Amino acid sequence: MIHRVMVRTYIGQSALLWCSCGLALFSFAWVRVWVTSLLDMGQFRTILEQFREFEKFAPIEFDALFTYPGRVGMTFDEPIVILCTVIWCISRGSDCVSGELGRGTLEMLLAQPITRRQLLFSHAAVSVTGLALLCLLVWAGVYVGVQTTSIEETLPSPSFTIPWLNVELPLSGAESAKESMPLSERVDSSVFASPTFHLFAFGFFLLGLSTLVSCLDRYRWRTVGAVVAFYVIQLVMFGLSKAAKSLEWLGSVSFFSCYKPQKMVTLAVNESLAAPWSLTQQTPGADLPPLAYPLILVALGIIAYVAASIHFTRRDLPAPL
Amino acid sequence: MGDGKLVQQHEDSRLSDDVVVCDRLSKSFGDFHALRECSLGVRRGEIFGLLGPNGAGKTTLIRTLLGFLHPTGGRCSVDGVDPTLDGLGVRRRVSYLPGDARLPRHMRGKSVLRFFAEMHPDGDLTRSLHVADRLELDLKRHVAFMSTGMRQKLALAVVLGPRTPLLILDEPTANLDPTVRAAVLELVIEARNENRTVMFSSHVLSEIEDTCDRVAFLRQGSLVHELELADLAQRHRITATLPSEAIEVPTNFVDCVDVQVTEATRGRVGQLRIDTAGDLAPLLHWLDSLELRRVRIEPLGLRSVYDDVHQNRAPYVASPSTMPLSSGVKP
Repeated sequence: MIHRVMVRTYIGQSALLWCSCGLALFSFAWVRVWVTSLLDMGQFRTILEQFREFEKFAPIEFDALFTYPGRVGMTFDEPIVILCTVIWCISRGSDCVSGELGRGTLEMLLAQPITRRQLLFSHAAVSVTGLALLCLLVWAGVYVGVQTTSIEETLPSPSFTIPWLNVELPLSGAESAKESMPLSERVDSSVFASPTFHLFAFGFFLLGLSTLVSCLDRYRWRTVGAVVAFYVIQLVMFGLSKAAKSLEWLGSVSFFSCYKPQKMVTLAVNESLAAPWSLTQQTPGADLPPLAYPLILVALGIIAYVAASIHFTRRDLPAPL
Repeated sequence: MGDGKLVQQHEDSRLSDDVVVCDRLSKSFGDFHALRECSLGVRRGEIFGLLGPNGAGKTTLIRTLLGFLHPTGGRCSVDGVDPTLDGLGVRRRVSYLPGDARLPRHMRGKSVLRFFAEMHPDGDLTRSLHVADRLELDLKRHVAFMSTGMRQKLALAVVLGPRTPLLILDEPTANLDPTVRAAVLELVIEARNENRTVMFSSHVLSEIEDTCDRVAFLRQGSLVHELELADLAQRHRITATLPSEAIEVPTNFVDCVDVQVTEATRGRVGQLRIDTAGDLAPLLHWLDSLELRRVRIEPLGLRSVYDDVHQNRAPYVASPSTMPLSSGVKP
């Protein structure tokens, strides 16, 4: 099913892109956690309260963001993380057939004793493993960030409450004491296992889709264009589903609805670490169990790969351009 | 017995000898017929030439044999293996050089050779390196920085590495200088001497003439003619000024002589053209009796046959022993 020599070649071809994306994701995740520590929770609350009316556009309730795990969990929805993942998936997926056709190298490759399926799945093995490692790098970045960052928390000053009047009065006029502590005391990095899996599932679907379009097409630029167009349309549909009650149904046909990393953080923090991995428990504010969402994306990705394999095996290969 | 069964029987009887068998092979892209009912056989250990103008169907035929294209009609096999059923089996037996061979641009020459040697079970890096050396190729360069000719040499070194039973070369000498061309043709002949079969497409007629044992002509997707190159040496063209009296061909020469007359026009003298097949000696007495003037006798080269086929003319009148093998001359 997988050809050893092809796998080695694909690793060589994609190494530079992977290293670039990996470096960006790891360092961003680390820095993003550090930035979290710079903003005092009180100030953060004040800022967010001003945007309460836009809460419906947020992936989770604002209240969840007033916790350190919630704020760190936002990393998985950051545009840079999504962008790097999408770049890896679309560039690798589109390369598989239409990329090789465009470069004219597919003819010489397939003139060797290798089946088209071997070529496709060798490519997929490298791309999917690369994606999994990128997702793990985000988690690693978050972990390193959590372990190396310190936070300062304002301790409540001693006070007493006047009975009957219910008024709280400070006992001294001194400033509130601040306590410094490692972020790891407030955030357990293992709660980000499920968001990491969500990011992988999101990327796996995009990889499968890009590979399918690549197998259908002969020009890489058109493959990339088609997948990006699909992505943007799905994103707009997802946005519209949040904007208006009448368009809520659009959310159910957008794959973005299955990407819920922050919800999984909340679930892991509020319930248990195992809660996001359940297929029986109901997700608060959602229709399906938590694990069903990434599994839908993975299933769609597998379907795309199977369809790509069937079409690629049957199609006539055009002569090099 | 129906025609189809006859063809089947004919092809089956040739299976043991023929490495490549095509039986009414057709390939269409929508309304465009790239290959029409093409039947041919390539014998084991011969160099078989494919000739035809651009778009004649040579590359389509080769790519169908390799399983890159799925035929819309007929069948074909390579060394007894049907590419539509076992493409992998076919490609194990074939080394193929595409007309426009492109190689991974990020690799150096030597890495390319190593990569393809590892890809093929019969791959032989030492042999590929030897071929590259014979073609005077600098293997330290990246493919991206190689000239077109260098890339072609590299592709040849890739293809000539494995010792497969069949070698298919689509215009192998394109973009090469005359010295390297000669080296490539030598390598092709060496492959034949190792009892390998070579299918060879080219637009350079002299190369085909120098190397091939047999040649097939394709035009508009149809196989219009097949020719044994050994027979070509026994064909001659006699041109002379058109005599005043009409020419009658003796009945015993009818099968091996083709007479064509170009009438005199304003400012141009009428011309007589006689194409002969077979031994010229028995014809000399008859030719002498015609009392022709300004006679020129020349060997009938592949060029003349090609021109005739290309211009949809019967290329010559052949004796039964030299009749085309399958489809013959089509109007």
